[in-house]
Amino acid sequence: MRLGRDSFAGLIFLAVSLALLVQSFGLPQLPLVPVGPGFYPRIVLIFMAVTSATLIVQDLLARRAEPADVPAPAQPQRAYGLVALAFVIVALYLVLLPLLGYRIATVLFVAALQAILEKPTTWRQWAVLAAIAIGTSAVTYLVFERYLSVLLPRGSWTNW
Amino acid sequence: MFELLGHGLLTVLQWNYLVPLFAGTLIGVIGGALPGVTITMTIIVILPFTYGLDPLQGLAAMTGVYVGGSAGGLVIACLLGIPGTPSAIATTFDGFPMARGGAPGRAIWLGAWSSFFGGLLGGLFLILVTGPLAAIALEFGPWEYFSLFVLAMAMVAGLAESSFIKGLLSTAIGLLITVIGTDPIGSVPRFTFGSEFISGGFPFLPVLIGIFAFAQIMSDIEKLGVPKTPEAVLAAQPSLKVSHVKVIGEILGRPFLLLWSTIVGILIGVLPAIGGSAANMLAYDQAKKFSRHPERFGTGIPEGIIASESSNNANVGGSLVTIMAFGIPGDAVTAVMLGAMTIHGIQSGPLFVSQQPALAYGIYAAYILAHLLMVLILAVGALFMLQITRVRLAVLAPVVLVLCVIGAYALNNTMQSVYVLLIFGVFGYALVKGGFPLAPLILGLILGDQIEINLIRAIMTDDNPLLFFTRPISGGLLLCAALSVALAVWQHMRHQARTAPDEAPDF
Repeated sequence: MRLGRDSFAGLIFLAVSLALLVQSFGLPQLPLVPVGPGFYPRIVLIFMAVTSATLIVQDLLARRAEPADVPAPAQPQRAYGLVALAFVIVALYLVLLPLLGYRIATVLFVAALQAILEKPTTWRQWAVLAAIAIGTSAVTYLVFERYLSVLLPRGSWTNW
Repeated sequence: MFELLGHGLLTVLQWNYLVPLFAGTLIGVIGGALPGVTITMTIIVILPFTYGLDPLQGLAAMTGVYVGGSAGGLVIACLLGIPGTPSAIATTFDGFPMARGGAPGRAIWLGAWSSFFGGLLGGLFLILVTGPLAAIALEFGPWEYFSLFVLAMAMVAGLAESSFIKGLLSTAIGLLITVIGTDPIGSVPRFTFGSEFISGGFPFLPVLIGIFAFAQIMSDIEKLGVPKTPEAVLAAQPSLKVSHVKVIGEILGRPFLLLWSTIVGILIGVLPAIGGSAANMLAYDQAKKFSRHPERFGTGIPEGIIASESSNNANVGGSLVTIMAFGIPGDAVTAVMLGAMTIHGIQSGPLFVSQQPALAYGIYAAYILAHLLMVLILAVGALFMLQITRVRLAVLAPVVLVLCVIGAYALNNTMQSVYVLLIFGVFGYALVKGGFPLAPLILGLILGDQIEINLIRAIMTDDNPLLFFTRPISGGLLLCAALSVALAVWQHMRHQARTAPDEAPDF
């Protein structure tokens, strides 16, 4: 039988909770406190293990009740590739932030994410995109650093 | 009390508070009007700005966002038939038909004035009830607190729309996140695997921002490939002119409806972590049930708009009660406010009103003034808001994410918080895709430390575990929690028998 989405999620959380539960018994006991630092986490982890297990059972029962060859309801087209790409761009931004500094990294990030979400076709659209990227970086920088005295990351490569 | 309130009003009327309040309300109205941008998201965006302000300035701005956001959704709900925020869903049912029927001005202003009256009644409740509730909360020992938190979590998990068991599991995940790091009693590192990165635990705000902001934005990006349904556009420049006296008369001529919707809104607000999206639907449902002509609901009658809009603004007042009297956030928006208070070193909880009267009454004053500002903003900008909805996701998403990164980074000027943001961003998105509700997780995350501290404190005071059940208030709260779970299971079984679960994620 193929596992459903819920069973899969349930299995992951069950595994995590059991692994940590084993770990929790290795935590030291404290003097003065009648229950050690592992006492409360164990309650949480047991609760988590029980709910995960219930989720798996529920999912398996629901699958058995349903005939297997019911066609899945038509799902609207989702742009999952775009989501993955967006996450990668955010990750790159976070890598570049401490290297290039807030101002440069933010221009690159805003431009890149805009470009993949809605690819500009005319040079005019590229100009708007660039203006938004530079504008976002400049305005946030000025507002936060100059007006609100909230410090933003400096770049170790650029010193800017 | 009213002297303090007057003082608060005078304080907030000064420029240095009025400007953030106005800015907050305006941004709230805009955020509420943008489809796909929730009030939670708007308050997350505004968060980094409050770091540099003094506490009352920051809280005034956030209160403004909260009030404005609840109202902002209604313009779009009426004119385009799509709710700008989840708290305006029920407004579309009658607001849009009324606007399409040739009375867009009446629809919008019925909504705006209902928000105004509902919000002010909610404010009255907030001012009158917070003090006495806080006094009750002061009598609480660790047993009562523990039981109260358990009740809060039981209720929130039970209200999860998709699946009760996922709601519970979501709560457990939230609690587990708070367990990682050093333990609050003896500072023993737990589940850190010797890693420096997580030895201090996960900071609350980056986790919350990551989970909410990414889950929302990535879900929006997903839909970029979907061909849009043809937009229901009105005549290019609809006239919103309407007699305000007549509209106000229409609302006040239905005092029972207004009061009942307001009470529903307040009660939903007081219950932890549920929020406006439930309040407006429930109030609409109630209005329909009590109506003499329920069949006319959905055809563009004023009752539907009044019920929805008065409840969602009253809901804000209710949420503020919970955060100010117990230190428990009523929803994700107040959770961010709680986080902002903590940054400024303000301890929310039963002592808040008595120890920080200036701040507490400042918030009350900001709440009341925000309603006036909201009406003012709608009067000037209602038509302009149609233009706002044309802002494209391609522009919105990067700007919002930049502000989220600033919000995480500026907490303590380390990149670590920003990495936490991304980790939980991915995790939150995965959870939403798995059909897990986020509200229980956030509540678990917020209450986790307090639950543990109160549990251990109770055990250290007296090692008799039966005290949780035999102390009357504590026992009563636990009984309510058990009943709430039983009710949720029962409702879920009944619901499952009838329909397949709806999978729209709720933020």
